[in-house]
Amino acid sequence: MAYYVNRNIKMTWWERSYIPEILKGLLLTSRRFFYNLFGFLPFFLGTEKDRRIFTVYYPEEQVQYPIAYRGRPVLAQNEDGMPACVACGLCEIACPAYCIHIEPAEDSGKQNQYERWPEVFTIDYAICIFCGNCEEACPEEAIFMSDDCEISMLDRKKMLYTKEQLLVPVADLQKRIEFTRNMYAKWNY
Amino acid sequence: MWVDLIITLVKIFFILGVTVAFFAPILTWVERKQSALMQDRIGANRADILGFTALGLFHIIADALKMFTKEDFIPDGANKVLHTIAPIIALVPALLTFAVVPFGGQYTLFGKEVNLVISDLDVGLLFVFAIASLATYGYVIAGWSSNNNWSLLGAMRTASQMISYEVTMGLTIIGVLMVYGTMRLPEIGAAQEDFLRWGFFLQPLGFIMFFTASIAENKRIPFDAPEAESELVAGYFTEYSGIKFGMFFMAEFIEMVTIGAIMTILFFGAWHIPFLTTATLLSWFDFLGTTGSNLVVMLIHVGVFFAKVVLFIWIPMIVRWTLPRFRYDQIMNLGWKILLPLSLANILVTGLVILALN
Repeated sequence: MAYYVNRNIKMTWWERSYIPEILKGLLLTSRRFFYNLFGFLPFFLGTEKDRRIFTVYYPEEQVQYPIAYRGRPVLAQNEDGMPACVACGLCEIACPAYCIHIEPAEDSGKQNQYERWPEVFTIDYAICIFCGNCEEACPEEAIFMSDDCEISMLDRKKMLYTKEQLLVPVADLQKRIEFTRNMYAKWNY
Repeated sequence: MWVDLIITLVKIFFILGVTVAFFAPILTWVERKQSALMQDRIGANRADILGFTALGLFHIIADALKMFTKEDFIPDGANKVLHTIAPIIALVPALLTFAVVPFGGQYTLFGKEVNLVISDLDVGLLFVFAIASLATYGYVIAGWSSNNNWSLLGAMRTASQMISYEVTMGLTIIGVLMVYGTMRLPEIGAAQEDFLRWGFFLQPLGFIMFFTASIAENKRIPFDAPEAESELVAGYFTEYSGIKFGMFFMAEFIEMVTIGAIMTILFFGAWHIPFLTTATLLSWFDFLGTTGSNLVVMLIHVGVFFAKVVLFIWIPMIVRWTLPRFRYDQIMNLGWKILLPLSLANILVTGLVILALN
């Protein structure tokens, strides 16, 4: 015995005769078929730069992520090669997953000398939850979320990135820096 | 005598080449690519040779290699003999039906009449259905010998569905037989030279019912209860692996070609082009001499025939990727309560019309 469910759907005679509705469905799918079939052609023939359909061949082609995208956090590197970070430890505290580890180093802070910088700065991406709290907590504009989300490794230990791996020239981060300034100014910090 | 033998062998190799070596492999690719296009995806494109992917066509080679090299597994408690011969029983009838399927008309080549059908049987249509229903044994034996609940359920569903829809199929073709008055497939094809005498116009209801029943016979969505993945894992071939699984797979695709060919011959004018008789075509190529013109026309007709077959493979594929699966009782209701009375009514109306016209 089949189990009947009363879905309270009143169908018209036209819908209950089934065949016109089937034809409607077939029309829809075959329209998509032909649209996509010929949507490929201008791209392959070279007359158009982009394909008309939006699916991408992932590893070969990549989507430009929006600037608000939160990928892996990176450290900003000043022009002289030192990190912008002052090792205050706010990101370490803000991190809900405890994936950041900082060991500071300091110097006199006289002319042409840095006062504080991180000697060791590691982020364990195996633990990181990409919440962006570190970026929000940072008072020195030193840590930013990048658009890189491809951080799969064969070994879990390799997911622990050291300071040298984390550093990214500040020039490459300009867009994100501007974005964060706008974003956090709006929230009136 | 030798010439006849050679001609027959050429025809056999041609039809086997087209179905086994061309259609069956290419359809696995077509199915994946077509569904991908319909769902805004890209589909198979990973297999590459030296960086060339050829739109994913190399997946066919990869699939074949995989099936040949996989372990041929026979489950514990299975009947080894039946488990082994079941895929053969399923595959052979699918190939055998092509013995009577004409893929072109009659042509005079080098002063010899060449009939483009391997065996011109008097009971061609009957032969097709007799042989095609033998494949059911293969499926049922496969399900029974696997010692698996899902296989057995799938096999039982196959048996009941095949029997239900074969009744409809058999009764619909009676309408076609009454109209054309012959069971020879080449004669039915030749009778449809006039566009308005195509089976589709003489038997519109019959065509729709035959089409529905043929999808059910093929066990494709929306009638794929026998191998419903979400309910029965894979139905009757759950316990099959390696090349035996490949044979079931191939049988399914070859059956699609068979059904497409039968539908073309019965309802869509076989190898004829609308509003273009063979005589007109021959007169166009008269400058090539008798043999030359016949050869050209033969090639055109074979091409047209297979183009129509491709169309009738494409439509079930569109249906397969559009509609959801019917519930099992819905399949039985449709088969016995709607299609069977309709096909009987179709015979009655056809008979009355023929009587009135005579």
